[in-house]
Amino acid sequence: MTRHIRNGINAGIIFGIVTIFLFMIGFTTTISDLLGQLLRNGSSIAVMGFTPGIFDLLVFLFFIGMWAGISGAKKTPDKIDTWGTVLLSSGIAGLLHGILVGGLALLVGSLLQAGVTMTVYFAQLLPDAIHLFLIGLNATSAGSFYVIFFLITGLIGGVVARTIRYGSWRQNLTAWSKNKWQAFTAWPQYQRIRHNKLNLFVVYGLLILIVFLLPQVLGQYWNYTVGTVGIYVLLGLGLNIVVGLAGMLDLGYVAFFAIGAYTVALLTAPAPHHLMWNFWVTVPIGILLAAFAGIVLGIPVLRLRGDYLAIVTLGFGQIIAVLLHSDELTAFTGGPRGVAAVGGPSLFGISLGTPEGFVYLILLAVILVIFVTIRLRNSRVGRAWEAIREDETVARAMGINTWSHKLLAFAIGASFAGLGGVIFASRNQFTGPEDYNLMVSFNVLASVIVGGMGSIPGVIGGAFTLKGLPEVLRELENYRVLAFGALLVVMMLIRPEGLLPTSRRKMEIKELHDPDGKEAGETPGGKS
Amino acid sequence: MDNIALETIGLSKRFGGLIAVNAVDLSIREKSIFSVIGPNGAGKTTFYNCITGFYAPEAGEILFFNKSLVGLSPDRIAQMGIARTYQNIRLFANMTTLENILIGQHHLLKTSWVEAILQTPRMRREEADALNEAMRLLRFVGLSGMGDQVARNLPYGAQRRLEVARALALKPSMLLLDEPTAGMNPNETMEMMRFIQRLRDELEITILLIEHDMRVVMGISEQIAVLDYGVKIAEGTPREIQGNAQVIEAYLGRAATAAA
Repeated sequence: MTRHIRNGINAGIIFGIVTIFLFMIGFTTTISDLLGQLLRNGSSIAVMGFTPGIFDLLVFLFFIGMWAGISGAKKTPDKIDTWGTVLLSSGIAGLLHGILVGGLALLVGSLLQAGVTMTVYFAQLLPDAIHLFLIGLNATSAGSFYVIFFLITGLIGGVVARTIRYGSWRQNLTAWSKNKWQAFTAWPQYQRIRHNKLNLFVVYGLLILIVFLLPQVLGQYWNYTVGTVGIYVLLGLGLNIVVGLAGMLDLGYVAFFAIGAYTVALLTAPAPHHLMWNFWVTVPIGILLAAFAGIVLGIPVLRLRGDYLAIVTLGFGQIIAVLLHSDELTAFTGGPRGVAAVGGPSLFGISLGTPEGFVYLILLAVILVIFVTIRLRNSRVGRAWEAIREDETVARAMGINTWSHKLLAFAIGASFAGLGGVIFASRNQFTGPEDYNLMVSFNVLASVIVGGMGSIPGVIGGAFTLKGLPEVLRELENYRVLAFGALLVVMMLIRPEGLLPTSRRKMEIKELHDPDGKEAGETPGGKS
Repeated sequence: MDNIALETIGLSKRFGGLIAVNAVDLSIREKSIFSVIGPNGAGKTTFYNCITGFYAPEAGEILFFNKSLVGLSPDRIAQMGIARTYQNIRLFANMTTLENILIGQHHLLKTSWVEAILQTPRMRREEADALNEAMRLLRFVGLSGMGDQVARNLPYGAQRRLEVARALALKPSMLLLDEPTAGMNPNETMEMMRFIQRLRDELEITILLIEHDMRVVMGISEQIAVLDYGVKIAEGTPREIQGNAQVIEAYLGRAATAAA
């Protein structure tokens, strides 16, 4: 009993604070505008007796209130909660939520009526925003309205939570989908397609064809966005080898990105060196220079572990950033103004320097990098990396030269970043020190962690989430960083292994069921 | 038959003012089962860490088939044929059973990273052979069918056996076991004893054992050395050790010796 009350109180306080926070930063106004456009194309006809803006806000708050109720009615492990206890905890959660928000409504409402200008203290508390929050009522009635509103939504949340948790439909649905899936996989046609390699090639071929046709229909803006995400995928896959596979925390990863970018920039641009080399010649140079930088940095620092390594690499990233900003080096790097008119790729006299062209180029690079990563991961080298990540001391005791394998991971990760940098600078036709700040390292690291350490689909998913979503959510521009932070916190709490974590390769089962494989059995225990 | 597998001469290791291992002389015959015992903190694990290269001894010499191990890196020593297990099991917890064993084979495989990317026929053949060998070891330690399970999810006894299998994958000529029966019930302990004897008899590996369970030590060792405060206070057959007054004193205190 006390457990349920405690759960309810916790959820109520948390959601109360969250809702107050959302109001204080002006999110309530933004979301109601957004929902208005989404639900009613921004029409201003009153809905169910409410002014449209207020209706939209209430829709949003309805879900928040329900969520508070669901969260309050936390499941007791190994026990079916009765309706009474569920409604008790969700009711307490809703009531507390309502009292906190209602109290705030009462406070700001009275202050507004007393003529206090609150924007002095909270920039977002404009009179309009407050009127919206008070849903057109006076302070007292708005306050009591919220108490009742959140109590009811909280109870609804409780009902929803219990129905979802214990309703028989849940088992039915699972059983139904399982049956259907088994029937589908047992279907002879499916079996034939599944086990015929030719058909698989056709499926993959179609997928690749679609991917390659996509840039033609996407248009300039989306091609540019997809390209940006692609470059982050390249960076993420490189850092994935260092952090995800070999387990070394590298915070200065942007340095290798910068080295790739400046290599192509300085070699192809008219100023400051007037070298004007062909783009394709500079690609391998950029990759090799980045890998070389990885080795040069790696030799002294790779005997460090964990936090110490993170600090040293962070320093390295900052050194590169400072060098690029430096006035002293203007003659060599272009200094703070950067390098303009970076050369683009062309093939047989046809320029590929269009957004579509770059999308193809980036796609090719991503496929190449994925190919290399998969091959390395499933080899002796990849296993050694993972062993080092799991337990470096034991890896050494198992005869693995940890130093050379860590250096290799660093160099290969750096070379992927170098490739990304080359494409990045060439696509922007410009490169400047501002492009290579600390945030790049953090963003890439975040996409690796959010996606799932060591997992290739994870890195791609992570890059899309962190680089692609903000582009899609342009409306929420002001909250991008907020959402970014919140996403990281929530992710680490509810899914610490990442969005798409790695699944281990099955080797024994495959061996046992492989009809073509040779008989694996010999005399057990024999001397080898 | 009387080849010496491992010999230490005046081996000493100190941590600040504490002498963890003090001028220890040992010589372990090839294909024997040799136990190192002693009260907690006697320096047994430090002794292991000196042999496997994780600690650099201040003085003394370690000879493995007449080759000095002092100053070599742990991975080099492992490659020369000394494999070990840990007192508190240290598997690669997030990798599968088979992957753990494949890592043990690391130094026996020759694929470079370039070959891995190109997947040359040689690399494919080597990987297939390695997998076969791993499956064989899996059966040898009785873990068939658990090859694709993540090591972390294995039951305790299976984790102990997997650790041995991983060590065997190095094809060692000497195996250092650090309390292999810790946390096991009498049945499992008996099974582990038989298993250790099988390792020596069938695979002809020299076994160096740290163990607290006296039934195990007395049951399978051919030679026993006793450490106390880093000093070797006795060495001999199980029978000799059981009757040694100094050993009883180290374990039970002076009063016990007087009573005996």
